Amino acid sequence: MAAGPRVGVVGVTIRPSIPDDGHHSLEEHLHDAMKATLADAGLTTDDLEGIAVGANDQYDGRAITVMMASAPLGGVDRDILSTPSSGEHAFILGALRIASGQFRTQLVVAWSPIEASSIPEAQRLANDPLFHRRLPLDELAAAALQANALEHAEPGTGRVADGVLAAGRRNGARAFPKLVKADPPKGRPTRWPLREDTVPKPVTGIVALMLASEDFIRERGLDPVAWISGMGWATETAFLGDRDLAKAPALESAAKQAYGEAGVADAATAFDLAEVTDVTPYQALIALDALGLASRAQWRDKLPEFGPDGRLPVNLSGGVASLNPVFCTGLIRIAEVANQLRGRAGAHQKPGVKRGLAHAASGPAMQYQTVIILDAGRNAA
Amino acid sequence: MSGRVGIIGIGQSNFQPRRNDAAYPDLVREAVVIAMRDAGLEFDEIEAVVYSLSPDAMVGIGTAERLGVDAVGARNKRFLRINTGGATGISSVATAWTHIASGACDVVLTAGADKVGECGDSQTVLNKIWDPMYERSLPLGTINMLAMSAVRYAHKYGMTQEDMARVVVKNRRHASKNPHAHLRTETTIEEVLASRMISWPVKLFDCCPQSSGGCAMVLASERWIRQRGLEAVWITGLAHSSETYYLGDRMGRGYTADHADAHALKASFKKSYAMAGIKDPRKQVHAAELYAPFSNTEFHSIEAADLADLGASPAMIREGAFALGANAGAVVNPSGGVLCTNAIAVTAMVRVAEAALQVWGRAGERQIKGARVGIASGNGGDHQFFGTMVVEA
Repeated sequence: MAAGPRVGVVGVTIRPSIPDDGHHSLEEHLHDAMKATLADAGLTTDDLEGIAVGANDQYDGRAITVMMASAPLGGVDRDILSTPSSGEHAFILGALRIASGQFRTQLVVAWSPIEASSIPEAQRLANDPLFHRRLPLDELAAAALQANALEHAEPGTGRVADGVLAAGRRNGARAFPKLVKADPPKGRPTRWPLREDTVPKPVTGIVALMLASEDFIRERGLDPVAWISGMGWATETAFLGDRDLAKAPALESAAKQAYGEAGVADAATAFDLAEVTDVTPYQALIALDALGLASRAQWRDKLPEFGPDGRLPVNLSGGVASLNPVFCTGLIRIAEVANQLRGRAGAHQKPGVKRGLAHAASGPAMQYQTVIILDAGRNAA
Repeated sequence: MSGRVGIIGIGQSNFQPRRNDAAYPDLVREAVVIAMRDAGLEFDEIEAVVYSLSPDAMVGIGTAERLGVDAVGARNKRFLRINTGGATGISSVATAWTHIASGACDVVLTAGADKVGECGDSQTVLNKIWDPMYERSLPLGTINMLAMSAVRYAHKYGMTQEDMARVVVKNRRHASKNPHAHLRTETTIEEVLASRMISWPVKLFDCCPQSSGGCAMVLASERWIRQRGLEAVWITGLAHSSETYYLGDRMGRGYTADHADAHALKASFKKSYAMAGIKDPRKQVHAAELYAPFSNTEFHSIEAADLADLGASPAMIREGAFALGANAGAVVNPSGGVLCTNAIAVTAMVRVAEAALQVWGRAGERQIKGARVGIASGNGGDHQFFGTMVVEA
């Protein structure tokens, strides 16, 4: 975004697991998250110039589900756009809208309810109706095919993946002790080689971020800020049969874009922490490789570096391995990094974080790949 | 932003009620190929794709943009989808503009397609846009939603069913000159009035068709366009604004916005005009492609675009205003508009495309002589989301 003004994250709300209390509607939860994000930024609704929403009709059980969300998010009389392709795409949209100079602030929101009678069935509707829909091909099955492809390409990956999963759960239990167990009981195989306990059950979640332009941030004296230094996004093709599922060329493309913008020459040494989307630990390993953080030959040896006390902590939040609000897991990774840079990550805060990397993936076997690089305010301003 | 953003390629299907010869991604590809040839580009030059698709249920595939990735040549490239209902097409063009104005990209493709006539029953799909607890069970559809607007508009401003029919006659005449339009047969006021009542006072001929087809546009930065010596028209103003979700908030006592008018559309046009430096649209605008899926809604759209005072447009159409060949003022929907073609995912993109073709001087038989300034709009949701754009030669 060389031409536009710099964009910073000035407010964050992460609700990674909202219990159904039987008394609050999704609209009320969204409104509450919007108000909390503005409060975190030190702003009011009057400061809201536009809204970028990531929302999925199939999970919400509505057509054009942004309609429902518009008023609770302050959309009436405002410019609100929706991208259904992923929650993280709303972040890209919001950032680009500010960088274009048309807006000074954007609220970015994604959510993921669990009211759908069957999330796997909703996911199967995305398959091509002529060839693939009759297959039991939901996103968990796609992730299992990807895991198999990786095991075939890199024999012995399963043992490394077990270690990645255990490390993620330990982080999750530290970050969200009331929600995550470090060592849940082993489940039965569900979609081989994935077990029932490999991917957490879907939960309801909401994530919101307030973005603002550099001039607005300075004019209002907003602090703390996580500045967007690099942004990349790309897609794979939809047909799994057309892809080598063990590889992630779209992620390599997204990383190249983001690293180029941020001036990252050596990803392995450029960041203080990272959040990667790990619906399965196999996906985490693919991401570490494509992001240039650990090549396949290094996976086993470098894992200690990615622990909470290692050189590059990965998923201090516990990642998707710990909490799985399906449609907003990618945007939560970005929000988690932003909060780390703003010193507001809570129990899992790492001190002194200056530059962070967020990786978001959505769709079957990581079809959509997004890379965001954020810098801490005082160091980059 | 640095420099303007230009439109350098446009592709449209010849819209039809059904396309049994083409699967959904094929229709997207059809429009993309035309737009790419129009721009004279190779796919390697496209840096990002903004995918235009409103409710997935219209094409019978969930998150159907995924199946369109290859059709738009987006593999390993920047890609995201926009959905603001009927406004999706113009919101997608706006998002493509944003990619370039932000400096993230120089060349962006936006594309989509729809198969509305093949979805079974579009009104059953569209009923699902309403809240399941309160308004979905009424049963609402987009036709009776805007029939209620017609009743209110008639009550406030004296619009008659003959006035509504005049809009249909005008737009069908325009569409007869547009090879891309779905309904191209001219009609008469008598035929419109005699057509089957759908939701009083909206009759069959007052309604848009259910169309299948695609649309695509290529946008680029002014610097990139100049470097390559390409021809372009320029997006000089754009905005969105929104109304409330619940229809009940737009009628009865204490309404927040009058359902007769298009409050948020007006607000959006005001912002677009300000950005483009348009101070007197009635004198400055030559071509207006306004999203009006029912004849009555063209009136409040004309007024929201400030091409007429509130309630004044029916009398102006009686006098021959807003038609091709009119002596003065903007021509409204020279393509035939949404009344003659409605492939929902791209309908609002077609509005931008047609306004661009007019100011480019490439509109064929429907060309407005000397058109230099065009406007376009898109309406989405339950008359909730409105996008507007100004394009100039």
